[in-house]
Amino acid sequence: MKLNFSVFVIASVCLLIFSIMFATSVGSVQVSLDNVFQSVFVCPHRPDNCGVEVLYQKIVWQIRLPRILMALLTGIGLSVTGAILQSITRNPLADPYLFGISSGSALGAVLVIWTVSSSAISITLGALIGGISSVLLMLTLAGRSATQVERLLLSGVAVSFMLGAFTSLVIYYSDPETASALLFWMMGSFANSDWGDLPLPTLTTFIGIALFVVYRRWISAIQAGDEGAFTLGVPVNQLRLAMLIICSIITAVLVAQVGGIGFVGLMIPHICRFIVGSQLHKVLFMCITLGGSFMIWVDVIAHSFLEAQVLPVGIVTSAIGSLFFFVILKTRSRI
Amino acid sequence: MTSILHTQLEDIDSHEVSACDSGRKQNLENSDGSEIFLVESISWIVESKTILDDISFSIKQGEFVGLIGPNGAGKSSLLRCLYGKNKPTSGTVFFREKRLQNYSRREVAQHIAVLVQEPPTQFDLSVYDVVALGLIPHRPLLSLASENDRQIVQRAIQKVELVDKLQDPFNTLSGGEKQRVMVARAIVQRTQVLILDEPTNHLDVQHQVDVLKLAKEMQVTVLLSIHDLNMASAFCDRLILMNEGKIVTSGSPQRVLTQQNLKEVFNISAQVDAHPFHLGNRITFDFGLDQ
Repeated sequence: MKLNFSVFVIASVCLLIFSIMFATSVGSVQVSLDNVFQSVFVCPHRPDNCGVEVLYQKIVWQIRLPRILMALLTGIGLSVTGAILQSITRNPLADPYLFGISSGSALGAVLVIWTVSSSAISITLGALIGGISSVLLMLTLAGRSATQVERLLLSGVAVSFMLGAFTSLVIYYSDPETASALLFWMMGSFANSDWGDLPLPTLTTFIGIALFVVYRRWISAIQAGDEGAFTLGVPVNQLRLAMLIICSIITAVLVAQVGGIGFVGLMIPHICRFIVGSQLHKVLFMCITLGGSFMIWVDVIAHSFLEAQVLPVGIVTSAIGSLFFFVILKTRSRI
Repeated sequence: MTSILHTQLEDIDSHEVSACDSGRKQNLENSDGSEIFLVESISWIVESKTILDDISFSIKQGEFVGLIGPNGAGKSSLLRCLYGKNKPTSGTVFFREKRLQNYSRREVAQHIAVLVQEPPTQFDLSVYDVVALGLIPHRPLLSLASENDRQIVQRAIQKVELVDKLQDPFNTLSGGEKQRVMVARAIVQRTQVLILDEPTNHLDVQHQVDVLKLAKEMQVTVLLSIHDLNMASAFCDRLILMNEGKIVTSGSPQRVLTQQNLKEVFNISAQVDAHPFHLGNRITFDFGLDQ
């Protein structure tokens, strides 16, 4: 039975809103859903009507919301770029880390931690520079063969391994303290997010999504095949390159903030296609709502699984995500 | 037999869609035999290998032209030169009295629809989505899908009789249905020229006939490459016979499909006589098997 797309739109938006509210209320200090609602919507405008303690307001506004919004943004950004990359390369295994972005960012972060200092800001900057240079390196090395999908994918893999080797080398020669800091960074975390970290990822992600929506027909044509897209007047190679660069920028900005978080960009688009089919605007919409919700829940689990300890997000994503994906794969193949 | 075919034809004709009507009108207005394609001694050389060697011919408005020749003769390469995918190493392709390279990619797509064989992809679009891709050359990037667009797509799908498969994934269709979807996309693209690269490959006889009839009914200038010589003889106004990157001969099917030409180019003995059901030739091959 095929359900109407609008049903999924409403359901997934409800899920997203509920996820945000729920995640804000749970944690080491329980804040009731009512208090969450009041602190978010009532207290800032009308302090007289506000019945929530200042401490709770602070927990909601200064600790939880930035973290949750960062998780939301990461889920959205990685899922959407995954969906676009899979479409334009017509490869179901494409993901945002395809071009060695995560290994490039890791190398950047590692070098910063190793050589300069360990303050969070410079790690972010190092990761950003590392991520973007890995894409530039990949495109330079691919050269003229960047017009062929298969060669592009292969050079991405090669760059990824090359940078990964350098990262391992640096970790091998660094002292245990630095090594563990590096490993923790690479496994991903939203814990250090505050409001100041949000504008750049928000801006890049949403500008990217706007561009994907504008070019959705051309991307669909490429999804159906390069030669056909060419005969429909689509500048295939230029469009693919432009989309790759946009995806890389979004990914690099996100990875720099939260570290390497796998699975989301690879699997969420497939889950969305299972649910709503392959039409690009539908997949993009579902990636925004489901990808965002998924990441928020991952963060909730990372915080509540062990008492007084936060698990690295990357571990939770991959563990839960792959189980979840197996379940879907099983149920879908039975139909 | 012929009468059955005719009634079928008329039947489909009565479903004629308006997207096609405009093309037909243009066609009637310009049916003074003006040249839509003029190919002047083009060659295409890749890595010092000559794929196309000094090819010249022209195609008139409204003609149905078949490109025949053995595998590797350069048929696909030549077609690709005509829709701008290959840039000839030397020589010029004129489209409506203007150099093809002076048209933008979008303009080419507005005038020439192409049916190519493509490997299936994992991310399966529905029949409707694939047909709707034909609107791309006519719509600005930012436009939303309008009711009018939906009707154009629907009518094209009706025309190829796939209404019941509207939402089916494209990859689940049979080979014949896939080709009909591609024809529907070309109808939506509303061009004056239709280029088909081996549209009848891997199809059974009935579906081969279906696809060629649909192409004929579009009433546009058609250029196609085709392997089945009897089919080519029945459907084409004119044939161009290629071998090793050169044009061997061109002209009416009767003139091109001679025993001598078949022996020379395809290296097979054949008997050529009048076809019992239509005006063209019938070719009977001698497979060299002992009785």
